[in-house]
Amino acid sequence: MKTFLRVILILAVLGVVGLLAFIFVPVQRTAAVAQLPADYKAPAGSGEYAMRAGDCMACHTAEGGKPFAGGRPIHSPMGTIWATNITPDKETGIGNYTLDDFRAALYDGVRNDGAHLYPAMPYENYRKLTEEDIRALYQYFMTEVPAVSNKVEETALSFPFNQRWGIRAWNWLALGKPGFEPVSQDEQFNRGAYLVQGAGHCAACHSPRNLLMAQDGTDESSAAFLTGGEIDGYTAPDLRGPQSAPQKWSTEELAAYLTTARNAHSTATGEMMLVVRDSLQYMTPEDNLAIATYLKKIGSTGGSTAPATPSAAPEKAEVTDTEKMLTEAKADMPLGPRLYLDNCGGCHFVNGKGAAEIFPELDGNSLVTAKSSKGLLDVMLHGAELPSTKDRPMRVRMQGYNDRLNDEEAAALATFLRQAWHNDAPPVTAEDVKAVRR
Amino acid sequence: MRDVPGLPSRRSFLKASAASAAVVGVVMQAKAETPSAPPPIEEYQPVCLKPTEWAFVMAATARLIPSEGEGPGAIEARVPVFIDKELAGGFGEAADWYMEGPHDAAAHPFRGWQSPLTPLQIYQQGIPVFDAWCQQTHGKIFAELDAATQDKALTSLQKDEMKIKPELRDFFTILLQNTKEGYFADPMYGGNHGMQAWKYIGFPGARGSYKEWVLKHNVAYPLGPVSISGERA
Repeated sequence: MKTFLRVILILAVLGVVGLLAFIFVPVQRTAAVAQLPADYKAPAGSGEYAMRAGDCMACHTAEGGKPFAGGRPIHSPMGTIWATNITPDKETGIGNYTLDDFRAALYDGVRNDGAHLYPAMPYENYRKLTEEDIRALYQYFMTEVPAVSNKVEETALSFPFNQRWGIRAWNWLALGKPGFEPVSQDEQFNRGAYLVQGAGHCAACHSPRNLLMAQDGTDESSAAFLTGGEIDGYTAPDLRGPQSAPQKWSTEELAAYLTTARNAHSTATGEMMLVVRDSLQYMTPEDNLAIATYLKKIGSTGGSTAPATPSAAPEKAEVTDTEKMLTEAKADMPLGPRLYLDNCGGCHFVNGKGAAEIFPELDGNSLVTAKSSKGLLDVMLHGAELPSTKDRPMRVRMQGYNDRLNDEEAAALATFLRQAWHNDAPPVTAEDVKAVRR
Repeated sequence: MRDVPGLPSRRSFLKASAASAAVVGVVMQAKAETPSAPPPIEEYQPVCLKPTEWAFVMAATARLIPSEGEGPGAIEARVPVFIDKELAGGFGEAADWYMEGPHDAAAHPFRGWQSPLTPLQIYQQGIPVFDAWCQQTHGKIFAELDAATQDKALTSLQKDEMKIKPELRDFFTILLQNTKEGYFADPMYGGNHGMQAWKYIGFPGARGSYKEWVLKHNVAYPLGPVSISGERA
């Protein structure tokens, strides 16, 4: 009996020591994946380019705030995470960060004081950055970004999420190998893969999360990678399935969408609109084509260049029942299609095809048929606006119908849209609508 | 014809009530949250018109677009409400017109608006002048005359038989114009109540989605109108 108690005691002590070690022993930081000379100078402009590719601005600049001075709330299921000041200000920013500190933040999600960053910072993805890009980014943030003194609200999640040391265990399970290893002979494919998996951190939204809330796959070797996720209640669509937009569009159409937020079929809304506005429009045409090429190749169709559906074919297509009903416009038609004619048909037309680069197709539109109806309802009620991009400067705008549709009407219209033409998505309720109104 | 001078006849009132009931009924079917129906026009509290001015506008518009005969009249369409709101707003105070002098009110009409008065002031000054003329010529102010005499008086006003002063010469013109506007404008401005005027002439409203109908000749368009605020009929 005594021996048994002694064993228990020893085990308990070992457990406590282990826990303390787990909490207090500093995290081993990942070293550079390539050895560059100490006086290495990143090519002019490459730092800003890498920043655009990583869309650092999206989170680290507050609405109406100074660039990179932080203070933007990031809503997560665990609570609000406040984006930090990443200007080179020594007191409130990252002015005291060494290159190794900086790399550790991007690779390991660790601050220079050793505390763990919340994975709202997509270090799962930034971990793939090359040492050249790390250097370029470091140089950019230290010498090109003006220092801004801005003390950002401290993120205060509730227990247990306020115990940042717990992320250490999460990191063991979630983080893959640092750096990027090309898997193809095709340089364009590899470049696309690097941008998508690394800086672009597409998987942060477009991959589902596993049970640990980690991205379910950070490269194409995982079947779930980029097959659709969720952000703030909105659906980030699947990019790989046979009915997904990238697989139905041509590579060029996909690249045009990335560069200009619009193409022959659709327009970017919500978070993706912001990604194009702040990040993708600054990519070179070659890089956006590389991203498109990569996404097409990893799709279920394997990147066959012919579109999976003849949506780009001349308009000899069959006339759907929906189109017939809308064309006849009978006085006793149901409320949903009647509201479509009253509100939407002028631009999106009875065939739901809209007009290239102006009015998105609603037939087969991933936003319309998304698992969560929040995105569709948000656009219907509050409208949408395309960003002005270099190649397509026009801010095409759709008005919101918040005042024109009551909850039941908006639900009837959204339900109609989700089941019209070739669409087949579950109905929407008035409660869904109420939740989206602001 | 009229039970109470200045107010619509009982017949037209009943017709109007029946019409609005029918309209509201239709809207209720399609709209779950029906905005509460406006108070009867007799209970409407004018925003800027004084009681005598309101009585005149009620009586005059009721003769310009009468309730008898085909289609809704100005009263059923709540045209006076539209005029009151319009005069209380930017139009009434000529907010975006050039109103600095010099004014030459007697200038040729081809030279446009020459009066120093705003449309609201023209109503405010024109109505007493016209009422005084009616009193003198027909023995009662306009609102208290019978319909036939009202028609005669309005014709006299249009032909300017009373030689109204030049500053007020556009009185009849804007009265007629505002009546038509109130009849056909979108219901959001207070008139064209229940889109009755649009339904009457077959105008399908603010839909803008008729591409399929361009080449369909002599086929009646099946759907009723829709208003800017999304009202359906």
